[in-house]
Amino acid sequence: MLKNLRISFFLAYKSITRGRKSISIALVVIMIMIFILLGFVSSILLGVTDAMNRQMIENMYANIVIEPGEDEDYIVKAPLLQRKINNIPGVIGSAAHYIVPATFTYDENKDGKDVKTALWTVDSIKPEEEIRVTDIHQHMVAGEYLEESDRQEIILGREISGGYGAQLPIKSLGGVKVGDEITLTFNNGVQRDYGVKGIFSASFPLVDIQAFITEREMESVLGVHNRASEILVKIEQTGQEGRYIEELRRIGLVKEKIHPWTDYIGMLSSVIDSLGKVRLMIAGFCLVVAALVIYVIIFIDITHKRKQIGILKALGLGKGIIINSYILQALFYAILGIGLGLAAIHFLLIPYFASHPLVFPLGFVSLVMTKNLLIFNSLVLFVVALIAGFIPSWQTARENILKAIWGR
Amino acid sequence: MIKVENLKRIYPSKVPVEALKGITFEVEKGEILGIMGRSGAGKSTLLHQLGLLDNPTSGKIIIDDVDVLKLSDSGKKQFRLERLGYIFQEYTLIPELTALENVYLLSWANSKNRKDYKKAAIECLERVELGHRLHHLPHELSGGEQQRVGIARALVNNPKVLFADEPCATLDSESAEAILKLLTELNKELGQTVVMITHEPEDKRYVERIIYLKDGLIEKEERTVL
Ligand SMILES: Nc1ncnc2c1ncn2[C@@H]1O[C@H](COP(=O)(O)OP(=O)(O)O)[C@@H](O)[C@H]1O
Ligand SMILES: [Mg+2]
Repeated sequence: MLKNLRISFFLAYKSITRGRKSISIALVVIMIMIFILLGFVSSILLGVTDAMNRQMIENMYANIVIEPGEDEDYIVKAPLLQRKINNIPGVIGSAAHYIVPATFTYDENKDGKDVKTALWTVDSIKPEEEIRVTDIHQHMVAGEYLEESDRQEIILGREISGGYGAQLPIKSLGGVKVGDEITLTFNNGVQRDYGVKGIFSASFPLVDIQAFITEREMESVLGVHNRASEILVKIEQTGQEGRYIEELRRIGLVKEKIHPWTDYIGMLSSVIDSLGKVRLMIAGFCLVVAALVIYVIIFIDITHKRKQIGILKALGLGKGIIINSYILQALFYAILGIGLGLAAIHFLLIPYFASHPLVFPLGFVSLVMTKNLLIFNSLVLFVVALIAGFIPSWQTARENILKAIWGR
Repeated sequence: MIKVENLKRIYPSKVPVEALKGITFEVEKGEILGIMGRSGAGKSTLLHQLGLLDNPTSGKIIIDDVDVLKLSDSGKKQFRLERLGYIFQEYTLIPELTALENVYLLSWANSKNRKDYKKAAIECLERVELGHRLHHLPHELSGGEQQRVGIARALVNNPKVLFADEPCATLDSESAEAILKLLTELNKELGQTVVMITHEPEDKRYVERIIYLKDGLIEKEERTVL
């Protein structure tokens, strides 16, 4: 048995080393390209998904969002609650926000003509606690982030300002710049002027339609104290939200609504689902192409050797030896393709996209190439090669001897 | 050595072809037998049945005391590997293997111990006067040389019976004569039984006895002077 395998190996080896080089090279190149494409498409789409998730966690919701209970306008005693929350091991920090709809008005020439108006919500933050929870402060494209003592200052997302490379065809303030003055009319009727202190952009539209003032300012607008419309909680290990939500319930947040960030994926989830489907489709397509290419090349080769195979069988060589020799050849090309493909991914693609990330409307996307993904792709390609090598050799090797020799 | 009884082979089709209509004959050990007859007489069909490459419709074949038609497929394969040699009209060698490799492929498959199979292959190639061409690929050899590699390949497992189906049909007359001479010499040297289909009347001088086939039946038998 082992001897027969050695003979198969010998035949495969001679066929590879003495066979037509151009075909071998073409086969290996195709395998490399398919392997790269397989990994590349998956990793870009995974990268997109990953970028969206990061945007939501880093710039919008942190890990957990606490909202007021049913029929409540606000979470009360917010500072006390936050102190308890921050004491839970594994919690990095929490941030309380008031969220208030307001009409933003910008009168560029202060003459009452050509006034830009738009309705957005404005959130309040305490800058010092906020930077522990969200990353907006890292995304300032102009001016400065808020400070604790600011009152008459506001920071705007790029899409609200309408300048600084804003991309959405939405109702913006038409190009507000740092230093300009805008007027906010809050939904309780209070009207105040604010100087634009900074503009931020995380290259993600949902982030860039936010606006922030300080909590102290907001409390004076609303005439309330120590309350919050929401509290964001940032934890060390993303993925463990469920455990921390239980913990929050235990420390007394009973009637509040508590959501992990994933509850807000909403419309993005359909995007992510679609990306997953595209990924599977392209992967399936690649594998079918790989299988067909291997099948056709081995089929052509074995058809040329039909007569020789018939004669070897006539002289008493088992068909298993012949089938195995072709399977070994297919596996050799698959392994070479996978190996070189892995090398190309590691030494060319990943470094390239790390230094030249792709720009999507959700920030920079680089390749997410997990070890599991690569192992999975390698295995799948390996199995495909096995099957694609087996079928034509099996078809030919089991053929009637005389038919193989005389072609009838 | 070989005993054939009432062998029939009918190729089934709309109009079934009775290629062998009931053939009975014997071949003695060490004998060199020629089979002659017109094209379409059934010569190749007969040799295919004897070489276990086809299944006859009915009849009996005994080779080396084995009722070979009773063997299983893998039993037949093993029987071919160990006891039969077959030389085809076309010298079909594996293009990626050298002369030596083409030959030792079969001694390797039949070898019990690891070392001897190459030695046997080299000996066979030397016997067909190709000792100096061991490491040449088929496309580097002439037609006659390739056919001699084919003969060496058929001989490498020291078969009891050697079948040859017009081994010289595609060779020039000089190479053809050399091949036939070689086969008779080998028959004398090794005592193998040889059954050979020949076409040319002058090939008669290389065989001991001739069976003439006509329309799937034995027309006549003839002893030659050899
Ligand atoms: N596979 C086959 N199917 C149908 N008929 C066949 C087949 N092989 C041979 N024959 C027919 O059987 C007869 C004998 O053929 P063959 O043994 O090749 O003759 P020979 O070798 O004497 O020229 C011919 O009539 C041929 O057409
Ligand atoms: Mg014939």
